[in-house]
Amino acid sequence: MGKVLIIDISKCNGCHNCQIACKDEHVGNDWSPVAKPQPMTGQFWTKVYDKVRGSVPKVKVSYLHSICRHCDEAPCIKACSNKAIYKRPDGIVIIDPEKCQGSKDCIRECPFDDVIYFNEELNIAQKCTFCAHLIDKGWDETRCSDACPTGAFTFGDEEKLQDLIAKADQLTLKSGEPESSLRPRVYFIGIPKRFIGATIFDPEEDEVIIGADVNIISVSGGNTVSVKTDDFGDFWVDGLLPDKYEVEIKKSGYKTIKMQTDTNEADINLGDIPMQAGNG
Amino acid sequence: MNDKAPRNTNNEKKIIRGLGFMSTTADSNSVQVESEGGKIIRIRPLHYDWEYKDLKPWEMHAREKTLTPAMKSLIPPFSLGYKNRVYSPNRIPYPMKRADWNPEGERNPQNRGKSRYLRISWDEAVDIIVNEIRRIKDKYGMEAVLSQSDGHGETKCVHAAHGVSRRLLSLLGGYTLQTRNTDSWEGWYWGAKHVWGCETNGFMDPVTNVVWDVSKHSDAVFFWGCDPETTPWAFDGQFASRICYWFTDLGIKSLYVCPDLNYGAAIHADKWIPILPNTDAALYLSIAYVWITEGLYDTEYVKTHSVGFEKFEEYVLGREDGIPKTPKWASGKTGIKSYTIKALARYWGRHKVSIAIGNGGPGIRGPYSTEPARLQVLMLAMQGLGGLGVHQFRMIEWGIYNDRRKNPLPWPEYIPDIYHVQRGWKYTDTPRQFIPKNMIHDAILRPPITWYGTTLSRDSVDQQFIQYKYPLDDAPEIHMIWTDSPSWITCWNDTNDYIDAYRDEKIEFILAEHPWLENDCQLADLILPSTTIMECDDFGVESVSGQFCTVFPEPRAIDPKGEAKSHFEIACIIAEKFGILEEFSEGKNTEEWIETAYKASGVSGRISWEELKEKGYFVIPNDENWEEREAGLHPFFRDPDNNPLSTPSGKIEFYSERLAKHFPEDRERPPVPKWIPEGESHQESLESRRAKKYPFLVITNHPRWRTHSQHDDMPWLREIHTCKVKGPDGYQYEPVWINPAEAKAKNIGDGDVVRIYNEKGSVLAGAWVTERVRPGIIYIDHGARWDPIVVGELDRGGAINTLTPHKTTSKNASGMSTSGFLVNIEKADMNELRRKYPEVFAVRHDPGAGLRIDRIIEKE
Repeated sequence: MGKVLIIDISKCNGCHNCQIACKDEHVGNDWSPVAKPQPMTGQFWTKVYDKVRGSVPKVKVSYLHSICRHCDEAPCIKACSNKAIYKRPDGIVIIDPEKCQGSKDCIRECPFDDVIYFNEELNIAQKCTFCAHLIDKGWDETRCSDACPTGAFTFGDEEKLQDLIAKADQLTLKSGEPESSLRPRVYFIGIPKRFIGATIFDPEEDEVIIGADVNIISVSGGNTVSVKTDDFGDFWVDGLLPDKYEVEIKKSGYKTIKMQTDTNEADINLGDIPMQAGNG
Repeated sequence: MNDKAPRNTNNEKKIIRGLGFMSTTADSNSVQVESEGGKIIRIRPLHYDWEYKDLKPWEMHAREKTLTPAMKSLIPPFSLGYKNRVYSPNRIPYPMKRADWNPEGERNPQNRGKSRYLRISWDEAVDIIVNEIRRIKDKYGMEAVLSQSDGHGETKCVHAAHGVSRRLLSLLGGYTLQTRNTDSWEGWYWGAKHVWGCETNGFMDPVTNVVWDVSKHSDAVFFWGCDPETTPWAFDGQFASRICYWFTDLGIKSLYVCPDLNYGAAIHADKWIPILPNTDAALYLSIAYVWITEGLYDTEYVKTHSVGFEKFEEYVLGREDGIPKTPKWASGKTGIKSYTIKALARYWGRHKVSIAIGNGGPGIRGPYSTEPARLQVLMLAMQGLGGLGVHQFRMIEWGIYNDRRKNPLPWPEYIPDIYHVQRGWKYTDTPRQFIPKNMIHDAILRPPITWYGTTLSRDSVDQQFIQYKYPLDDAPEIHMIWTDSPSWITCWNDTNDYIDAYRDEKIEFILAEHPWLENDCQLADLILPSTTIMECDDFGVESVSGQFCTVFPEPRAIDPKGEAKSHFEIACIIAEKFGILEEFSEGKNTEEWIETAYKASGVSGRISWEELKEKGYFVIPNDENWEEREAGLHPFFRDPDNNPLSTPSGKIEFYSERLAKHFPEDRERPPVPKWIPEGESHQESLESRRAKKYPFLVITNHPRWRTHSQHDDMPWLREIHTCKVKGPDGYQYEPVWINPAEAKAKNIGDGDVVRIYNEKGSVLAGAWVTERVRPGIIYIDHGARWDPIVVGELDRGGAINTLTPHKTTSKNASGMSTSGFLVNIEKADMNELRRKYPEVFAVRHDPGAGLRIDRIIEKE
């Protein structure tokens, strides 16, 4: 048992407070033996990325996060040639700034992007410490979770947060292995999948078509999602897997439309789709 | 348990204070500042329950769900990272004099903006100021001194950010005041007040309990040019974000009408309608057309609650001008498909819809913003304004003016009012000679000038019919400027013209006091370093966060940086030189003024001064009876005769007799609001001839990563890619958003440095090619620091307001128009610029913060 951090992407408003709070704590402050100061700019021990999804006018932004997972099976610990990286009893993984001698093994072996940074001036590798220096002083959360205004960040004891952990997304490493194989201590909820959206209209009548049946059929044999167009003639289905889809649009009195689309690379706005009067 | 060692031990301090940026005493963003050995270690949210375990937050119940305040302050990133601002490499370290300005000889006004500066002592600086004021007074009279001392800034009380010097100038015999126009409310103030009264600002008032009513009864909230994830940050914090998530949880549809996918729309919108800027009037009219022709509005309400509907109907149906305002007609203007307009009109006509606004969008800063603002009110009226779930409310400035009825959320028992204690500017201290802020350039370069209205936010509509002039018959023109709000260039209208005015030989002396060497400071003759909020002892009230109302004594976190002094201390030193310190300070020092604020706050009966200092803050209890009050304009809805509006008729005025009587010839703000693409004052529409040469409309929102001109130097924000775009030369350019289709046509790539230009000059920016903005327009935030390549012509910092329109909202509406205007954009020729201006490109910048103070200091 030990400390965990759970980040609910669906509650992240992109304010970057987590990223700023981390800098406020670590830039210019020396928390040895947990961490030496972070440089003024360029390192992001917790980082926010904005992912713009779709095209005008069906656009959403999702804010993704990168942070050290404090893995129980941490590749960085094994990789460090100076044995400078260790796991505390509470699960927090620390790069000992005194022992680190400038080896970049950890950066190379960490399977995640933008987690471990190299401080050229101090000649050490640096990363998130789960604010271990504060936890040791009695804090019950990290600076990033303290600063989060929406409740997207939850930090605490693993045993008390099992309900939330159970909701976490099952993620896959770049190697294809499940992320759980590393037994990470950072969990994500609500990582965006893909959407398909469109506006359906009748060009003759110059009206949107409300209540058309839309079937989004996975070509690889996954589930079919069925919705109806809303008061604006829109459908906008989120949570789809990256896949090839057939989109079928039906409305009595109109010719059925079938089209192919592919969400492997990106979310898809099919745009404004005219339906012609007719049968089937 | 959180780490809460006792405060103020030997070396360690923990101070609770507000860190909001409104500048009046309405604070928010309460934080704990922790310092050690004279250095700030960290800034973190205040947890309200640290000292008060039995706090009872309000609970709002709707649709079987509950909303309550968070137990901590929901501060924005600028408060959290404020160390960046305090320790900025652009802080002014000591008093400085422009090297080629000699009060005894050549003043070289033409070199303002180019000159370098020499270090001088405080004694020398004060002597120069005193001598110059005496000379000006003898030669012209005290009204030749213009006081620029308004606007936003750090929210302080005794050491107020703006206007402390006004009292001093009054005691010395008077001054001319720059009156601040209602810059984020223009359409409401100059337009909507003529429709529904709602004094004094023009948006719906009161808004009591409106969020609760919306939560219970509305089907949808239309966020009209409103960004709840940006504009509230500096003034209210981030509770608005929680309200947006709450609406979604309740199943209330969030629809956003805005040209850009603003930061609220980006995460909360169920539908985004990307309208072309400043065409909202056309959209409203076409919606009204659908409602009238399809019987989708509340005819009974219109009969009983309004006047002049038939004239409006004539215009909408085209009986007045032969042009029916059909969805097809509006489609060509707004860039929205006519079938979508019809769907929107029908949805609105059949559902309970409220409108959220918030200092953004068409109702504020566009040319003719009076028209969409008035029409929005008329739309609400046609759907039974004041009825269940039909309101307008603001996602910002909850309870400003210490008026609880301006807060749509549950109330505290009372709001501590320390406004009359604060030493800075007040809404009521207008001297007889004044100039609206948006006309300073005209006043200097093209006097005499006339206009309507004081332009002050707390004045009623009556004065909009009074014509004022400058200079007064028996008053001098201005010859000296004293500014403590030196950010005109990056926030106001046609600011390249303003730069010319500041360089006019008529202006003999410009004095600036500010913590940072930015914007207008670069035109001053004498610059005084002032302290930041962390460096002075003060007293604060958190009253606009929407969560809790708290008070706190605010001891300094660190000592003043360099030779900085607070505005109050500066004014005291000058007052002493004139021998009027006692009158100026009213015999009180800082400590005594802080105690005065404590007494005024009304908490003295609940907590002693000693205990308050020990605990660090006090939370005002909630009003337990908050649920009993009627929502918004419901009394008017229920019984208009006994609860009239403040319009002449007491009703909603589709046709304003009063405007017709006072301005019978005004085609730019006619008695019935209209679609006005262009006119005598402005030609800033895609329909204008100028659009051939300048084919893009640029919108300039309130910035996401700044508060107007504040915070542009924060390295931790500047490395966020929507905050700054690093050019190939390493310079951090202000981002301009451009749609991929437009970028492709213009051969502009992501990250390219581009030149945005029109007749007024050019501004460089860094391109962000994104689907977050519709084609036909570009988007750049206002407020980026001015960093001139050629003073008055070409700017590198991204100060887009150097290109904004000159004229007021319209002929007789004295607001400003700085968003939605015509420009062109092209890839900048960096090689050519570097060749032409080698000295500019050789300036060394801080890799994180950008501008450094040493760029401007003359080496001795």
